[in-house]
Amino acid sequence: MNMKKIININFHSRVIPIEESAYEILQQYISSLRRYFANEEGRDEIISDIENRFAELFSETLKKGAACITDDDVNTIITSMGRPEEFEGEEAPQPETTAAAGGQQAGAGPNWQYGNAPDEPRRLYRADNDKILGGVCGGLASYLRLDPAIVRIIFVLITFGWGAGFLLYLILWIVLPTRSAPVNARKRLYRNSNDRVIAGVASGLAAYFHIDVWIPRLVFALPLILGIVTSIINHITWWHWSGPSFVTGGFGGTLFITYIVLWIVLPEAVTASEKLEMRGEKVDLESIKNTVKSDLETFKGRAKEMSSEMSERFQQVGQQLKQGTQNLAAEAGPVIRNGSNGFGHAIGVLFKAFFLFIAGVITFALITALAALAFRGDSLLHLKGYVLEGFWQNFLAWTGFVLFLVIPVVALLTWLIRRITGVRSRNNYLGYTFATLWVIGLFSTIVLGGMIMSNFRARQHVEEAVPLVQPTHNKLIVRTTENTNRFDDTDWWSDIEFGKHGPLYSISEDSFLLTTVRLRVLKSDDSAYHVQLIKLSRGSSATRAREIASRIEFPVRQSDSILSLPQGFAISSREKFRNQQVLVEVAVPVGKRILIHRSVEDYHWFTINPNNRHIRWRDRNWKMDWDQDIDDEDSYSWSSNVEYVMTPTGLSRTGMDGSGYRFKGRKDNDNDGGEDMYKERPEKPEKAEKPEKPGGNGGYRYKGPGSNAPKANDTTNPKKTAMVTEKEEALMQPYPLLAIFNS
Amino acid sequence: MNIENTQSQMRKGILEFCILSVIRRGEAYPSDIVEEMKAANLNILEGTLYPLLTRLKNADMLTYRWVESNSGPPRKYFSLTPKGEAFYGELQATWNELANAVHTLTNNKSVL
Repeated sequence: MNMKKIININFHSRVIPIEESAYEILQQYISSLRRYFANEEGRDEIISDIENRFAELFSETLKKGAACITDDDVNTIITSMGRPEEFEGEEAPQPETTAAAGGQQAGAGPNWQYGNAPDEPRRLYRADNDKILGGVCGGLASYLRLDPAIVRIIFVLITFGWGAGFLLYLILWIVLPTRSAPVNARKRLYRNSNDRVIAGVASGLAAYFHIDVWIPRLVFALPLILGIVTSIINHITWWHWSGPSFVTGGFGGTLFITYIVLWIVLPEAVTASEKLEMRGEKVDLESIKNTVKSDLETFKGRAKEMSSEMSERFQQVGQQLKQGTQNLAAEAGPVIRNGSNGFGHAIGVLFKAFFLFIAGVITFALITALAALAFRGDSLLHLKGYVLEGFWQNFLAWTGFVLFLVIPVVALLTWLIRRITGVRSRNNYLGYTFATLWVIGLFSTIVLGGMIMSNFRARQHVEEAVPLVQPTHNKLIVRTTENTNRFDDTDWWSDIEFGKHGPLYSISEDSFLLTTVRLRVLKSDDSAYHVQLIKLSRGSSATRAREIASRIEFPVRQSDSILSLPQGFAISSREKFRNQQVLVEVAVPVGKRILIHRSVEDYHWFTINPNNRHIRWRDRNWKMDWDQDIDDEDSYSWSSNVEYVMTPTGLSRTGMDGSGYRFKGRKDNDNDGGEDMYKERPEKPEKAEKPEKPGGNGGYRYKGPGSNAPKANDTTNPKKTAMVTEKEEALMQPYPLLAIFNS
Repeated sequence: MNIENTQSQMRKGILEFCILSVIRRGEAYPSDIVEEMKAANLNILEGTLYPLLTRLKNADMLTYRWVESNSGPPRKYFSLTPKGEAFYGELQATWNELANAVHTLTNNKSVL
């Protein structure tokens, strides 16, 4: 079947119908001219003039009644125009320029040395015709008869390695005169514009060394691949594979830098003769013809393949090819080795590389996070049960997770594998499928988010007064009970996110501990201490919220002056997590004292407010600013381990120090016998203040509710009071500053 | 030493002179210059003419103006500048000397 595709091109503001193959020939011819006149001052003008002549001759042909421009038409014009190889013998000598042009065209004709006497002594110049910054490297390469790319790479390495490269460059830039220097290497490193994933560096290297493209690509991609693999392995096995860290670390970074350096340094092979140079073949008429021919051949082969398929797709492919070739033509416009563009090119590459790096990091993080989810996601699934309600929410959560998060990664991997193996799909079905699925995933995520939000819409509270026996020493000490049931082996999730001081702890398979508890100190209206619990919860409706709030179990125990609050409160997957909170209000009568133990700081208060669309975290300094949504005009801020006395105007620190760290001795005065103990061991007062393990008979007065006789033993065994349980030690760790002060 | 090489070098030297001569007779369009030279039996590739014209123009020997054409895009018509005129004069003098010398030498008569 002899069938030719005709395209319309806009050529020097004329619309020319031209056979696609003829257009290819024309393109190749213009490219070879561009290459030939690369160092000519008026290059653009010359080429424009020649193109103009083509346009005129095309117009004439069409006027004579031809339907379109054929291969023959183009070839006839080219013959009368002459090919660059034929120019050599014709042109008048122009010493400055022909030397350069001849150098570029080395091997094209025997007389290229015409303007450049062979016995002229070699001198070091800056290359005017082959430069990225100042032509220093080009000149050196010419002088040393090396591939300029190699000299440039050495310079960049010196700059990165010792910093001296740039200085040397500057000096040479200033010292050396410019001159167009012949380019020596017949074989040059280029970036391959035809076959690229990022910038064509790998395929350019492959062409230079005559190896398969996938080899350099794999080498460059290795750190990324290994990084992903190791992170997956780490997640599966918890075994930290430290072996090839040199690959992922320093070596990987070096490869990354190498790639960018090559990207900056290597010119892109655009024209036929550049492509030949890239493969190290001799540049002459015959080989240019061959390249053009093979280009056309592959194009023809592709077209044949296509035409055997659906004819409509043929149309579509033609469109793409047209666009591609037009892009190529547009790219070919500003030629790479144009000096003024060199610096801009380098900056542009650095910017591109920077964004690429950021994108790479994001992708890597995404993949790692997904791997983590995939392999350690069981505990997250377990958490999911506390939030989600009913079939639809679970369904949406699954589709959202799979489609919204997994699809992009699958798509990305597909794309990467395709780019690396060089497979290019001509249809976009896969892309459309991915996009559709992702949109579905996004949609279900949004719907799920909305449903979850609505479960948090209302907020209600339940108040509950705690019966209190008035303490005998006009002082109330508030602390939390010792933790007996905290899961030491907590989820990786809460471990990573919050450490052991996060607001959530797993205590069993289907329940976990919430520590969203806050203590407020108020002034009592009468002469007695009062304690009140305000249990808060969110819910889809006010009734529901109140119901959930009333189900919070928060037993407060008292033994004389010590008020023990639970570590937190448990919620099970049946009850669901609805941001339950407990507010403990302690009303202190005027003239009486209160001390809040540091363990109370282990509570983590946070409020989810879907109406404000954010989660408010209050941690270390939440005492200072109270949650605005609970009315609190008459509460006072406090520091832990500081003894306060209630005055008519509010809380005030008692006694001598006010530093907050030496108060313990003071406090002990209130307690029988405590004073003696601290006199005996004045150097470690803070440790003495720590509660002992239940059952230890040296237990200080802060006994957990389980131990019953706290007072009498205090003086009997001062050494034991100085002991600190491991748990206590662990509790101290997050406050390293305090620990330093204490010791 | 091959003959084509020598021939092309001989031609190269007179190319600019010939082109300037054609243009000197009146504004000229590149393809007309090629035709005229062809008619005088001096074949030149059109592709080599454009760079030559551009170089001469950049050296202020030539100037051009755009002329609308009904058969295609506007055309560049070249003409000589005063500097080009002077340049041409010198070339002509040189050529006359050369032609004389060559003529004398090739006529096989002994000069002395």
